[in-house]
Amino acid sequence: MISLIGFSSLFLSLVSNLVVIITFKFSKTLTINKVFYSALYSGTFFIVLSFLSLVWAFISSDFSNFTVFQNSHSSKPLLYKITGTWGNHEGSMLLWLMIMCFCNMFFSFNKILEINLKKLTIFFQSLLFILFCLFVITTSNPFLVNSLNVNEGLGLNPILQDPALAIHPPVLYIGYIGYSLVLSLAIAGLILDKIDLLWIKATKTWALFCWSMLTGGIALGSYWAYYELGWGGWWFWDPVENLSLMPWIAGLALVHSLTIVHQEQLLKQWVVFLSILCFSLSIIGTFLIRSGILTSVHSFATDPSRGIFILILFLVITGFSFIIFILKSKESSGRLNLLFINKTSALIINNIVMLIACFTVLLGTIYPIIIEVLTDKRISVGAPYYNSVVLPILLPGFLLMSIAPALSWQTNKLNKAKYFFYTLVFVSIFSLFITYLTNFYIWGFIGTTLGLWIIAASLLSIFNNYKASNKISLHNNALFAHIGIGIVILGITFSSVFQIESNHSIKINETINIGKYSLKLNKIEIVEKSNYQELIGNFNLYKQGKLLSSIKPGQRYYHVPKTITTEAGIYHNWLQDFYLIINKQKENIWSIKMYQNPLVSFIWIGALFMIISGIIGMIKK
Amino acid sequence: MKLCQLLNRIAFAFLYLNILFFSTLVLGNNTINEELKEIAKKLRCMTCQNQTIYDSDADFSKDIKKIILQKLLKNQNEKEIIDFLVNRYGEYIVFEPQMNNRNIFLWLFPFIVCSLSFAYLYFRIKKNQSN
Amino acid sequence: MRKAILFLPLVIVITIGIFLSIFLLQGKDPNKPPSALLNKSLPNFKISNIYDGSQSISNQNLEKKFILINFFASWCAPCKAEHPLFFNLKKQYPNLFLLGVNYKDKRNNAIKFLNQDGDPYDYVGVDNEGSLGLEFGVFGLPETFLVNSEGKIIYKHLGPLTKKIISDEIVPIIK
Repeated sequence: MISLIGFSSLFLSLVSNLVVIITFKFSKTLTINKVFYSALYSGTFFIVLSFLSLVWAFISSDFSNFTVFQNSHSSKPLLYKITGTWGNHEGSMLLWLMIMCFCNMFFSFNKILEINLKKLTIFFQSLLFILFCLFVITTSNPFLVNSLNVNEGLGLNPILQDPALAIHPPVLYIGYIGYSLVLSLAIAGLILDKIDLLWIKATKTWALFCWSMLTGGIALGSYWAYYELGWGGWWFWDPVENLSLMPWIAGLALVHSLTIVHQEQLLKQWVVFLSILCFSLSIIGTFLIRSGILTSVHSFATDPSRGIFILILFLVITGFSFIIFILKSKESSGRLNLLFINKTSALIINNIVMLIACFTVLLGTIYPIIIEVLTDKRISVGAPYYNSVVLPILLPGFLLMSIAPALSWQTNKLNKAKYFFYTLVFVSIFSLFITYLTNFYIWGFIGTTLGLWIIAASLLSIFNNYKASNKISLHNNALFAHIGIGIVILGITFSSVFQIESNHSIKINETINIGKYSLKLNKIEIVEKSNYQELIGNFNLYKQGKLLSSIKPGQRYYHVPKTITTEAGIYHNWLQDFYLIINKQKENIWSIKMYQNPLVSFIWIGALFMIISGIIGMIKK
Repeated sequence: MKLCQLLNRIAFAFLYLNILFFSTLVLGNNTINEELKEIAKKLRCMTCQNQTIYDSDADFSKDIKKIILQKLLKNQNEKEIIDFLVNRYGEYIVFEPQMNNRNIFLWLFPFIVCSLSFAYLYFRIKKNQSN
Repeated sequence: MRKAILFLPLVIVITIGIFLSIFLLQGKDPNKPPSALLNKSLPNFKISNIYDGSQSISNQNLEKKFILINFFASWCAPCKAEHPLFFNLKKQYPNLFLLGVNYKDKRNNAIKFLNQDGDPYDYVGVDNEGSLGLEFGVFGLPETFLVNSEGKIIYKHLGPLTKKIISDEIVPIIK
């Protein structure tokens, strides 16, 4: 019953959007105009209804629905039943469709844009919706009827029952898919030749919104990987991570470029190109992951027909967009004022660096496919490649971002340059000092210097702005975001380069010393859950006698399928994370591994700075 | 102080600091365990979904770690160990694309594009400044 | 020049599209990488007989023979599934030397399995430590290799064999 409502609503949403498309041509007349907008809103209403039907099917454990059968279980906690809705291919595609409609609807509330531009954008967004809706209905229908007569579901994978993993898809998708509207706006602007100040403002708002949400989504995914996978790593250059990173980088180039265009009315072609690029990257990313042609931690169940359909969608949407780009984009009049070094040049360098980094990530991700097509050999491209190539390319960008906000548009003079210089020297010497005292590793020095330099220079700029205007205005939000990046760089550097790994043996009731901390094993507990048995080590961590926290690493023995996983016990501290793993025992002596990850929290804090900055950027005048 | 001068001074400062840094650099000798970790981080666990030998708990990873350890104790270096495994499991097992004719494009192309872009930018700036 | 650059994104999209389509249509399995040993010579090895530890077989004993090497174990369910197919294969191609390699298993369990489900192999060798498997790049059971009479490894299959795979891929090679 619920599946029937769900599918009908999905179909009605498709029909509504078709009505939008059809009535667009004639919407100059008042009545047709009303139909146009009503169809838009009804389309949104129906897709929401469809999505909620699926959620209800999950909540009520309606196993007559095939998707619910495959991905849920009656013993799952309510929260995870709900979030399980989007924890599978079909459900997440329904979420995708819903977000596309919401973007379209919220965009239609825009009061500033010229009417024709607005309606053409809605037209294209609805067209995109129709294409993806056809994809869902034909290859990924979440409302298929389960032909088996069952009273229990198959979906009890505990890895998916996790708060961070539960909220990560919606947050990520809002950004990832929101770029579809940026694309629609760009195409509409090209066709109507209306890439003007109002278009720039609208694009800027949406671009900042999408970028902020994408930052949040990626940070949540990384945070989940940190405590769930591997030994405290949070970025593995896994294809699915790369695919979310590419629109993030392109989106970052876009928001930066929008400031030049805002200021100088130049480089409009470039901004339009970036607007098309972001969603193109989203589509190809979706293809690479859902077709199953790449091995990834995050692989969905594969189906060649899905792959072919999305590939066709990619070629059609991207091809069409870039053809319009070739036919319709106009060269800007006027000349770029490029000096060595003013804000314009700095932003151009930023764009070069970001685009090449983005392209390198794409190249690395699809290179194995290219090689296998050409030579029939299979290779792997992983962390060693990306770390060696992408990071050096980003280096000029990091160096420049510290002073770029303070640069002038017209001249190549830097206000209060000597204070920046003194700051740089001080920061370098300070970092040298730190690295000398610890483990004296080149990346430690570079990372610390860069991070501190970006933060210090940005603070200096904020201070200069304050002195000049006697207030701290919201226009400092770019500096705030840069401080966020500096914080992230510090977090990354310290948690990787200055990480302390140690192995120990410990008996029950014994306390061992690790540096200025001590660790006591209280007891070993065995816990029975419905799908697994867990052996938990109950530890207490002390600093100079004072109890900091209990840490409970464990080992899980799953029944179906028979696997053993190691669950790390983590004590989060602002300045340092204690990451504890329990291995095996020999005659009552347990072997454990402890990682001390300094400043890991800075990675998440820095991301938060960036998100806040993006939101401020959206709402400030 | 003009920006050109400032940047010149920054460049010299960095150069000086790097000389200072490298002159006192202590060349660290990795312990066997650290070597094992470095090599294991470059290898793929063939039975896992895109995890490294280092990150994975699987039986296959444990076996490979044992093999790496045996070879390290026999004083083999990283290249020899990786070549040994590549000969048996293919280049697929290594996450770092090997330097050969197939992969040269992958390694060089980004840097070439970067250099060309910066070169072009340099000429545009020069052209603009001379106008 | 300006106009030409505008074409670049489209060209890149089409190029990427072509590569992805070809790869998709070839239907390769991302979990089954091609073998590194294809067209290389059979590695040197010597393994002992599972029934009689004093006997052994080496690659030299197998010169000039067309060999099918099957890595299996008693704890491996797909191995049990593909096991019956070997009897037919041996009947149809008596000149094909079937070498079974018992990989990371307990001798007693393996012998029990062979007694229960039959032994189609011409020789069953023991590889308890997995060192022979290592030479062949084995990482998941069952794995099957074909070696031609010149001692070159010409085919590898990862996973259980089926009638279709045998008729589509193995038989053409054996002929």
